[in-house]
Order: sequence, then structure tokens, then C-alpha cells
Amino acid sequence: MEPASGIRLDHNHKLSLREFPYIIRWREDRCKRCGKCTSVCPVKAIEPTVKVQRVVKSEGPVPTPAAVRSITHVVEQVTDMERYCTGCGTCTLVCPNEAIEPEFNPQHKFLHYKNKGGDGYKRGGRRNDPSISTLDRLKFTRISMLTDPALDAGRHEFRVRSLIGRILPPEELPLKMVNGKLVVDKESRFIPPVREIFPIMIGSMSIGALSPPMWEGLAMGVAYLNEVEGLPVVMASGEGGMPPGLLRSKYLKYFIIQIASGYFGWDEIIHSLPHMVEDPAAIEIKYGQGAKPGDGGLLMAQKVLKLIAKIRGVPQFVDLASPPTHQTKYSIEEAVAKMIQSMSMAWGFRVPVYPKISGTKTARAVLNNLARNPYAAALSIDGEDGGTGAAYNVSMDKMGHPIASNLRECYLDLVRQGKQNELPLIAAGGIGKKGNLAANAAALIMLGASAVAIGKYIMQATADCFGDEYNRCNLCNTGKCPRGITTQDPKLYRRLDSDRVAERVVEVFKAADVELRKIFAPMGRSTELPIGMSDGLSIDDQAMAERLGISYAC
Amino acid sequence: MRAKKKKAELRKQETDNKVVTIYGNVKGNRVPSRILEEQIQQAVQEKARELHIIADGQHGIGGRIWPRGETVKIVVEGPVGQRLGSMGMSGTEIIVKNSVSDDVGWLNCGAQITVLGDVTNGAWNAAAQGILYVQGSGGARCDTMTKQNPRFEPPQSWYFRDVGDSFAEFKAGGIAVVCGVNPRNPKNILGYRPCVGMVGGTIYFRGQIQGYSEKDVKLLDLTPQDWEWLKANMKPFLDAIDRASYYDELTSSADDWKKLMAYTPQEKRARKWFKMSASEFRKNMWEKEVGQGGIFAEYLDHDLTLLPYITTGNDRRNKPIWANEKYAPPCAYACPTHIPSHKRASLIRQGKLNEALELVLQYSPLPATVCGEICPNLCMQACTRAHLDKPLDIDRMGSLALDLPAPKKAEPTGHRIAVIGGGPAGMSAAWQLALKGHTVDLYESSDKLGGKIEQCIPRERLPHQILEKEISRFKELGINAHLNTKVDKGTFDEIYKDHEVVILAIGAHQPRKIAFPGSEDIVSAYDFLKDINMGKHPDLKGKKVVVIGAGNVGMDVCSEAFNYGAESVTAIDIQKPAAFGVEMEIAKAKGTQIVWPKLTERYDKNERKLYFKDGSSMDADFVVMSIGDVPQIDFLPPGIHAERGWITINENYQTSDVKVYAIGDATGLGLITHAIGHGRVAAENIHYLISHAPRHPEIKQVIPYERIRTEYYDVCRGDFPIEQEANRCMSCATCRDCHMCEATCYWGAISRVEHKDGSYEYVVDEEKCIGCGFCAGICPCGVWEMVENI
Repeated sequence: MEPASGIRLDHNHKLSLREFPYIIRWREDRCKRCGKCTSVCPVKAIEPTVKVQRVVKSEGPVPTPAAVRSITHVVEQVTDMERYCTGCGTCTLVCPNEAIEPEFNPQHKFLHYKNKGGDGYKRGGRRNDPSISTLDRLKFTRISMLTDPALDAGRHEFRVRSLIGRILPPEELPLKMVNGKLVVDKESRFIPPVREIFPIMIGSMSIGALSPPMWEGLAMGVAYLNEVEGLPVVMASGEGGMPPGLLRSKYLKYFIIQIASGYFGWDEIIHSLPHMVEDPAAIEIKYGQGAKPGDGGLLMAQKVLKLIAKIRGVPQFVDLASPPTHQTKYSIEEAVAKMIQSMSMAWGFRVPVYPKISGTKTARAVLNNLARNPYAAALSIDGEDGGTGAAYNVSMDKMGHPIASNLRECYLDLVRQGKQNELPLIAAGGIGKKGNLAANAAALIMLGASAVAIGKYIMQATADCFGDEYNRCNLCNTGKCPRGITTQDPKLYRRLDSDRVAERVVEVFKAADVELRKIFAPMGRSTELPIGMSDGLSIDDQAMAERLGISYAC
Repeated sequence: MRAKKKKAELRKQETDNKVVTIYGNVKGNRVPSRILEEQIQQAVQEKARELHIIADGQHGIGGRIWPRGETVKIVVEGPVGQRLGSMGMSGTEIIVKNSVSDDVGWLNCGAQITVLGDVTNGAWNAAAQGILYVQGSGGARCDTMTKQNPRFEPPQSWYFRDVGDSFAEFKAGGIAVVCGVNPRNPKNILGYRPCVGMVGGTIYFRGQIQGYSEKDVKLLDLTPQDWEWLKANMKPFLDAIDRASYYDELTSSADDWKKLMAYTPQEKRARKWFKMSASEFRKNMWEKEVGQGGIFAEYLDHDLTLLPYITTGNDRRNKPIWANEKYAPPCAYACPTHIPSHKRASLIRQGKLNEALELVLQYSPLPATVCGEICPNLCMQACTRAHLDKPLDIDRMGSLALDLPAPKKAEPTGHRIAVIGGGPAGMSAAWQLALKGHTVDLYESSDKLGGKIEQCIPRERLPHQILEKEISRFKELGINAHLNTKVDKGTFDEIYKDHEVVILAIGAHQPRKIAFPGSEDIVSAYDFLKDINMGKHPDLKGKKVVVIGAGNVGMDVCSEAFNYGAESVTAIDIQKPAAFGVEMEIAKAKGTQIVWPKLTERYDKNERKLYFKDGSSMDADFVVMSIGDVPQIDFLPPGIHAERGWITINENYQTSDVKVYAIGDATGLGLITHAIGHGRVAAENIHYLISHAPRHPEIKQVIPYERIRTEYYDVCRGDFPIEQEANRCMSCATCRDCHMCEATCYWGAISRVEHKDGSYEYVVDEEKCIGCGFCAGICPCGVWEMVENI
């Protein structure tokens, strides 16, 4: 409607600061107006402006009013939902005087308004739920000091390793006696490829979702761990191809190449195939992502610059959609079997091939299908607390299955079939959400996982990602990542030092190795991973204990 | 009781001899460790200084003999249990004639223990003082957790042959010597992984080893001091274990020996955590495999270097632009003629009052008449200042232009343009074209210029002398005004032929009428007002006047009706009245009633009643219909299209005939200011057209209100002389040269540059600017703009 004649509307339909998730606390007494904060704010949530103060004084013996006005230049938070403060705190980081800081506002009504243009709120990050996850409630309660051989993590030798690939049961091992010696009979049957890896891997994050220095930093860290430290950590490529320089290098063996519904980068990978000097660690077929089941990926055209276009094998400046489902797959039986066949065939059946699905009540159906498929190398299940570069908030917050019980029921299903040592389960989604990387990984291993994959944690730990479960920052989808992790803008990603990322990867995994020993040592495990050793676990909730088939401890 | 007493007597007898023999097995019955311990302690209490123990697997034999200043010698033979000599004190000397079980010398506090055989696992565990001599080998985990208390000499442990796995774990002090004679495993005399967690002490050894905990200890050659100590202490050791003959062999060369010592905490802290830095790895391994510059280098066209968060120059994310006059201020934007009142204010502030007032004549021939008197001043309604206190006195600036002469014309161009109609639209177009040097023929059907301003605006709203004065200035410009020239089909054709462009500014001079019974007895507002201005005054004394149509013209009619004696005047309308501003205020002040909605059915002249469709009626001696006028266009050729009586035009005021333009009320009813605006903008278009410069006058976007920093201005009350009034102007979208940006820029990146022609600009030093946006955020006028730095 029209405003009343001759009147300018003022605060009508303007949001108050109280509706916003973060409120900027700016201290006038400390600020020197250097503008560093406003120059770095990724969303322009703060801006310089002008304030007037007016004070009326009366100093005489009788009322002698004098009005004093003063105008100051200030830094102010805007109340535009399009430019809401994400709480990233880059302003605080660059402020030389500690004059500015975003403060979380627990009474915010952000989601009530974040649907402008009739579209749902999209973001990066992971499920915004700061409560203690099941993984963090699991305790290791079997402490063997005198009952089992007690081990000392600092003193004894450990070998924390896991196997990815289909493991043949003893009775199926193709062994035969030749001249009184036991030898492997390679002719009699197919021997599935198996890789020995460190049980924590870096999960799929694509080139495109990640900036060049972030992806390369992770890749270099992984290569360093293998080459220098002898720790066989592997990293999954994500869906977005891999640069030929890496595909054709000997380091390819430390990488799991992902294929997903967008098939980005795959023709370039195939072109590199004849030039490969090593096989990749594995091939991951992505059917779902725990963070956003039912939601696909979309790399916005403005992020598809020369680099991404070349690596993905697409023209520049086009939107790249990865639909949530594959087009040429129609049923579990048909879809999984043909994908595993195709991908195995590409590397002469020398590379483990496994599918990745999002955590779901139907995971066991997939698992049972795989159990019958001799070429299936593993099943990766990605729980609801996984992260993503871009998704609808509703998919991230409300869709998906927690990893703990999903993984557990799959493992117990394998136990029932007697195949728990044959088809490895890879668990992901929320590992290290509160920073307890090794503990979460160990808990999942003891619930039945052969390995776990991490994503968000590694971004936080190695590149100082601001994101958290209070929706701090989570700008990954916008390409405005203030840390230079999830952006294709050189002005931003050149803030990130890939050498430093690599060093942090090394530190993180070495520390995790130490911590895993600290957990496994009192349980008397030093060389064999306690996969499914659920008698060592307890939880302080009866229902959870029952659901997971572990003991209740309080 | 009796038996115990007897035994005690027996022992006393023996202790007197200072040598006591204690049996661990009496007549085939093994003496419990507890009893044997009691017997030993008792014997020592009773002054025995040499004890012979014939052991039978008892635990902890020979320990805990409290020092008495003299030596207590204990000779043990037979199978001993674990922890022989545990917690042994100084003054105790134990000699075992055969091998011992685990943990010999456990927590030793000073005893000297000689084992003429092997020691098994855990020997010397946690020993803090004293000496252990071993004639044979050690088992696993010997010398673990040993310490040195600064109050005492360090503990020593001597192994003649070798030791087992996990030797010296967590050793924190003491000296261990492993002589490596005839070892069980000649390739490794210190066992598997010795020295894990070792933080102090020294291990001398002689012979091959296979690794040690490299993060904890370092392997060194012996110093001369080490060698002297070793040689000096070797002799008593070899004597004690009855191997004196090996002395020469073991001390023949220091080169046969090595020592292991713990790294100091300082050394550990100084140690590089990474075996190789990431940059070394990148250079020497990664890039050698994947290519120079890394895996992405070939796709990136920027330097492979790091940037800080705060950047300058091309690396800024955003940069400021001094966008002076990029936007229109609200006043100029709202004015159909786009008169730049902010520039007038600026000139006044610079002391150029005359230039300021003259400026308006570049835009309008009638500033005093229109801006100053009859215009509702859309500029002032839009004025940003209006939201603080009251709008700038723009109407006054128009009035002050009354006495100015006509501005200078440009050199004649030779182009001939016809303007048909001498009302505000035609005058405006003619004025603009004449100023640009074109020859203008203006055709007016009446005997006076001014159109409806002259004919229909009540004189009380516009003093006639103002209009006359401005018309006389208009005439100064040398426009060929053809008065009393009614244009018909024939003359139009001639005009069309003789001119390059024809502008139709014919106004709307045909009153609209709704036909209903009795409408023929109703007079039109057009005729009513025109007659008055022409001097034909109606006599409405005591009459009840009804005006159909309550627009602004209707209000003028109401006012004039009162002026000529009407008893009452009622304006009716079928919808909410459109009247506003001064017109309505005057009419209402005089007593006009406005009634709506009323749809007229008929007028009965005899009854003097107006009947409405809702069944009501109203007394009406005199009825005026004021529902607008339409243009008279019957003289126009069919090539000039009209729709519903109005001449159709495009956005450039061009009709369907490219040579013919139409402006003002002929294209649709509007305010006088609209007519003047049409005239100016159409003239601009025509000027471009005939100068073969086919472009359009720039219509700038209005600056958003939010960009003006009104905070700088204090609320003013009262009226001011024009010089002071100009200071009130917020100079929206136009730099007021206040230097605020220059002052606020922390980085000193902004400076003011003055050009030779007297103009100035504010410029940014890109190498200093960090793109913070302070200039844009605090600019009083909203001139600075932040844009993405691409």
C-alpha cells in the first residue's frame, strides 16, 4: 500500500537486530576507524556510517540550556537479511584493538526470515545441532590393567591399520600345496584387491567445493604422511575430477577417486588412465551424502572458472548440477552391480570399488546386496552430521540418519551372516564434531566400522574453518569463505597457505594415531583394530545402550 | 611359645659368633617368606653381621636391613624367590652364589648386590642407589625406572654378558654397564627396543646392538672421563664376580665401548617436529612428481604467493569510486524538467548567487510563474531535507529569478522548427530550442502567450504581472511568435513543409462533457475560468453553485465561484477527489464542500436541482462541469495517430510521424510543470536529432534516500536568507567538497585534486586504499560508492 500522503515510512517491515543470529558488539572507545573489519567482512554485514549524538546541558545557576551535537563515524551492523552477520568473526581476527566481535544471539529468528524470493535457505557446513552427539556420549569402559595384557601407548609398538577391500574367508582362500609348500593359487579364483590403510581417511571434498590451496594442501599432507611418516592415510577426491599431474603421479595410490551422478572430470580421468603409473587406493561411487540426503550438488557458474572447467571437463561459466540421483540406475541390484563392474573393469579389477550412501533406514538393504556381490569392496555410510559445501538448510538439518545406530545395525547384520570380517564398513558423518577425532573414530570402529572418513573436522583443524553448529560462518556455498577454504576467488583463497594445511594434516593424523593408541592400549589392542569390539563400549542412556547393543554405564 | 623361645636362644648363641646360617627349608618343609624375613631381621638385630641363607624360593631376601654404620654381609645360595634385596639399604652387601629370579634389587636404596649367575626379568627396576653386579646376563625390562636422587650417588648396574628386551625403559638416572662378554645374542646385546622413555642416566655398552629409542636417547662415544671412570670401576666389578682375568680385554680400548644418554628436555624441545618441512616436501618430492608449482599451477593465472587479509591495489575485494553526480538528487529527479536545484544551492554556497538564479533559465522560461507560484513543487516534496525539518525553499529560488534578463542564445544553427501552441509546453520547447540557436516559429491561436496559465489559472493564485514579466523575457529571446494564428489543416500542411520539425503543444482546450438530461444547461470549467481571466465576470450573487468534478481545476472553479458572490459551492465527484495542494486549500478555506461519491443523473434547470443516481438531489442554481479537457486534433493529418483523443507519442515525445513531436496536455493531462518538462526533454531530443547526434538526454536514477547522511545536519527552525538556505541543501548525490572523506580515511588514501579549469575531484591512491568503505559510508552526499574490484 501507499504510505500516507507526504509521509516517508521509517521502520515498517524492517527487522530488528534481535532477529539476527549474531549481533556485532562494537566498542567505540577502542575503535580507531581503520576500516579493517569492514574491508574483510565477507557479507558486508557491517558498514561504516554516521551517528549523531545530542546532549542538552545546563551549567548556569538557573536553567541555561545548551544543546551540544557531536557527529561520529561508526561501524554498524546492517539489518538486511541478505547481509546478515554470520558470526564468522573475521572482523575480530583483523581488528588491531579488539574493538569488534560478533555475539551469538540465542533468541534469533533467522530461519523465519531466510526464505526470501520464495526459496529455502541454502548454506554450507553441517547440521546445526550443538548438542552432544551419540558418538561423544560413548565411553570406553573396558580398561584392562590386570585382566588383559595391559599395554602402554607410549612404550609399546602399535600398528593401527585397517583393510579396505573384499576379504576372503579362510575357507575360500585359494591356497594349494605345491611340492610340500603352501602357495596362493591365483588362477583358481578371483582374488579381490585389498588395501591396508590408516583407519581414518579424508572424505570426499571436491576440487571446486574446495579452493586450490585447500585441496592441494590436504593432498600434500596425505602424500607426506605416507611418504615421510609411513602412515598410510588415504583421501577421497570428491566429485570434481583430479588434476592430471596427480593422476599421472606415483602419489595416486593414496587417493580414492569418487564418481558421482554428475560424472564431472571423468573423461579427463579416463584420458589419464593409460598414463597412470599407480592404481588409485580405491574407487568410491557416491549415491548419497549424509549431510544432504535427497539434495544434489550445484556449483554456481561464477565458481566455474578456468581451473574448475579444465579439471571437470566442462565449459567455463555454466552451472554444474550433480543431481541427487543417478540417471542410469534403476534398482539396487542393477545399479550397484553395474557401477561396481564398470569401475572395477577400468583398472583391471585391481582396485577396490565401493559405494557410498547416506545414512538411512534402508542401509541394510544395500548392504545385503553388496554382501552377495563378490566385487563389492566395502560400504561407506555417511551419517546426518556430515558436512557439505552447499545444500538446503532443511536437507542439512532435518534429513538423514545418525551414523552410530545405522553403522551398528549394518555391522550386526554382517555378524548374523558371518561376514563381519569380509565386507568392511566405512562410517562418516560428524566424526570430530566436538574435536574428539580419535575417540569418535574409535567408538565407530568398536561399533563395527573398519574405517571412518572425516571432512568438516579436517577443514576446521587444518585451515581454521570458522564453521560450527551455531551456524557460524557456513558461507561455503557462496564462494565467500573468509578463510579461503571453499572459494574460487583468488583474493580469498590466496589467504590460505597449502604448505601450512599440509603440515596440519600431518599433525592431525599423527596426533590421532597417538590418541587411538591411548584408547586401544588399555583394552589390550596394539596390532589388530578392535572392529566391533563393542564390549569395550558403554553409554549413559539405557535406550541408546539397547539400540546399539552395548552396556549401559552410569 | 616354648619352641619359639628355644629357637631364639639358639640364634642368640649363633649371633654371638657374628655368623648366622638361616635355612629356607627345614626338614623338607619350606620356610614361608614371612618367617625367613623375621629370622633375618632378628639375626641382624642380634648383631649378626654375616648371614648365610640357604634359600628355597623365598621372596625379597636380604632387603630392608637398616644401616648401622657397619656392613651386613648376606651370602645366599639355593633357589631364591623374586625381588632379592628389594628396598636394600646402604651397608647391606648381598652375594648370591647362583642365578636369581625376577626383580633383583627392586627399589634398591643402597645395597650392593652381586649375582654370580644370571638375573632374570625386571632386575634393578626402580633402583635409586646401590650397586648391582651380574656375572651373567639380564632378562627383559632390566634397569627400568631407575633414578638418581641428588642426595646420593647414582645407582650402578653391571652386566657381564648382555641384557634382554626393553632394557632401561623410562630410566631416569643411574649408570648401567653391559660388558657384552659371550652374549646370548651377539648381534644385539641390549635386546629389542632399549631406552624407550629414558630421560636420564648413562648406559655404557660393548658390542653390537640393533636399535634403540632414537627419540629418547643418543648414541655417543666415550669421553676420557667416561673411560677413566669405567676403567676404575671395572676392577671391583670383575673382582666381585670372579672375572678379574677379563680386565685387560674389557679395558683395552675405549673404542670398543659406546654410551647411550638421554636427550635433555632442552634438546627435545629444540628438536624439529617435522622430519621435513612441508615446503621442503613440496619442493623436493611433491612438485617433482606432480609438476612445477603444484597440481593446479597450469590452470591459475595469478602469482602462486600468499595474500594478507588486508590488501591494497588490485588485491582489494572492493574499491571506492567517487561517483559524483552519477545519481540524480531527489529534487531534480522529481522535477519533470529536472531542474538541478542542488546545483543552485551549491553555487549560492560558493557565493555565486546570480549564477545560481540564472541557472534555472537554462531549464524553464517561467521559473517565477511556475516554480515560484503555481507549481505544487514536486522537487520540494521529494527533498531529502523534508524528512529532517522542512524542504529547501526551492520555490523561492524560482521567484528570485523573476527580474533576470533572458540568457544568451547560442550561435544560430539555421535549423527551423515550428511549435504549435503558446502554452507552457510550447513556450518551454521554443525556449530550449531558441537557446540552442535554432530558429523557432511559435503559433498561438489566441492573442496572448501562456496558454492555460494565462487563460484558466485564477489571478488570485498567480499575480498576472509575474506572468507578464516572464512572457516579456520570453519574447526577448527572438522567437517568432505568431499570435492569433489558428492552425487548421491547410496551415498545418504549410508549417509541416516549411519546418524540419513540428512540435504539437496544442494543449487540451475542448472541455469534456458527460451527456445527461440537462447537461446542456451546464457550463464547462474551461469556459468558466477562461471567461473570468478574459474579463467576462459571472454574476453568482446568492447562488448555490455545484461543481461536478473535484480535481484541482474544480477547486479553482469553486474559489472563483465564491469570488463572484456564490452563496454556497459544493464540489461533487464520483470517486475520492483528486484535488490537492494550494488549490484545494484555497477552495476549502472559502467554504467549498466536497461530497463524494455522487453520480449525476440529470439536471433540472427549472427546479434548479441536480439529481443523482442514488436518488438524492442537491440545490444547484449554477452548475459547472470540471471533468477535464481534451485536445482539439481534427486539423491533424491521419499520419499522426491519436488514441482516445490524445496524441500518442513514444518515450522521446515523437508521434507516429517522425517529424512531428507532441508535448504537454495534448498527450494527456498533467501539471504545468509536466508541460514544461515535456518541452525541455522533447527539445533536447530534437536538438540531438537535427544535430545528427542520435542520443537521448540522460535521465539519471534517483539516489536512494538511505545514502544521504542526514545526521550531519541539525534541525533548523524559521526562515533564512537565501544564502543561508543554500547551506541547508544536503547536496544529494553531488559532492559538496566538504573533505569529510579525506579526513576519515585512516590510510590517507583520498586526496582532492584541482584541475586547471577550476573543477576538482577526489581521487584514491590505490596503493594505500584497503577498500574499507569508510568514505562511502560517511559521505554526507552519498557520492562515494563501493564496487567490486574486478
